[in-house]
Amino acid sequence: MRARKKIKINHNSEFELDLAPLLAVMVKLVPVLLVSSAFVQMMIIETDLPQVVQQAIEEQKKDPKPTSVAVEMSKKTGIKIVITEGEKQTIETVSLNAKQEYDLPNIQAKFQEVKKAHPEVFKIEMNPDADVPYKDVVQVMDEARKSRNNDIKFPIKDQKTGVDTTTLYMFPEVVFGNMMDG
Amino acid sequence: MRRTRYVPEIKKQSFGLNITSMTDMFTILLVFLLQNFAAGEVAIDPVAGVRLPSSNSEKNPVNAVKISISSTELKMDLIKVADVQNNSISAASIDPNDSNFVKPLFDELQKFNKEHEKLAKTGKVLFLADQAIPYGTLRKVMYTASMAGFPNIKFVTTAAGN
Repeated sequence: MRARKKIKINHNSEFELDLAPLLAVMVKLVPVLLVSSAFVQMMIIETDLPQVVQQAIEEQKKDPKPTSVAVEMSKKTGIKIVITEGEKQTIETVSLNAKQEYDLPNIQAKFQEVKKAHPEVFKIEMNPDADVPYKDVVQVMDEARKSRNNDIKFPIKDQKTGVDTTTLYMFPEVVFGNMMDG
Repeated sequence: MRRTRYVPEIKKQSFGLNITSMTDMFTILLVFLLQNFAAGEVAIDPVAGVRLPSSNSEKNPVNAVKISISSTELKMDLIKVADVQNNSISAASIDPNDSNFVKPLFDELQKFNKEHEKLAKTGKVLFLADQAIPYGTLRKVMYTASMAGFPNIKFVTTAAGN
């Protein structure tokens, strides 16, 4: 009887993977992505809000005598927040810091105070002076839009369900009050 | 007897290039580029001479007419409509009866209104302004845009951290 030939399998053998086709694909893909990539991500400032906040804004619009919050920006004196409740007017000020720049942490704190006192208000009227740079206007709008501290939230009522909830949004609706002024 | 000059023997042989490390590098590059790939519905090309301010807004740009203002010129899309000198719009472009009204911009926006009726109906404007431009100059542009039927102004900014 003939002995059966046993095929020897070497389990310890190594082989080299041919990476050349993979590299060829990558070499083609990288320039395509390099051309179409956006390295500077651009955003727009808009009021894209949770539904609850949008409903609250609509409610505020229905109010015949709403509380209004106006922000006056001056390059020399800083920020003045004017709160008008019917006949009563309250003015809060935040001066420039030692570097003669807008004191953003204090502005944020002041907006939080105003929001705590008037949780129903979502709209602010911006009135920057003509010489205030665009960068500063955007920075102040940023401070007014949302609370930077995730622990500081503001009460809001869901108009559909009637459930009380909270939001980080303070004054997301910005209107330039002096746009039509001469 | 003359001595023969020694000529080294050069063997003609091929060798395998190790491309593993190069593949590694390309893989990392590919992942990075895929992450940065523009995924928004509208891609905005940066305008020369315009340094946008940064903001913590998280909203992606929408399709709308683009107005840009740098320290040298005011443009609507790619068309130059007015000169900017010392961070203010040149007096020649301002209406003599209304100091906030930029006549050439108004004319261009009116033309846009006729040519792109559907887009113009939204009243949206993407506003790319240099961060150093004072509000007084921006106000003139915003005023003119709202007069031309574009009251919905969206400030284009760079994402904070860029």
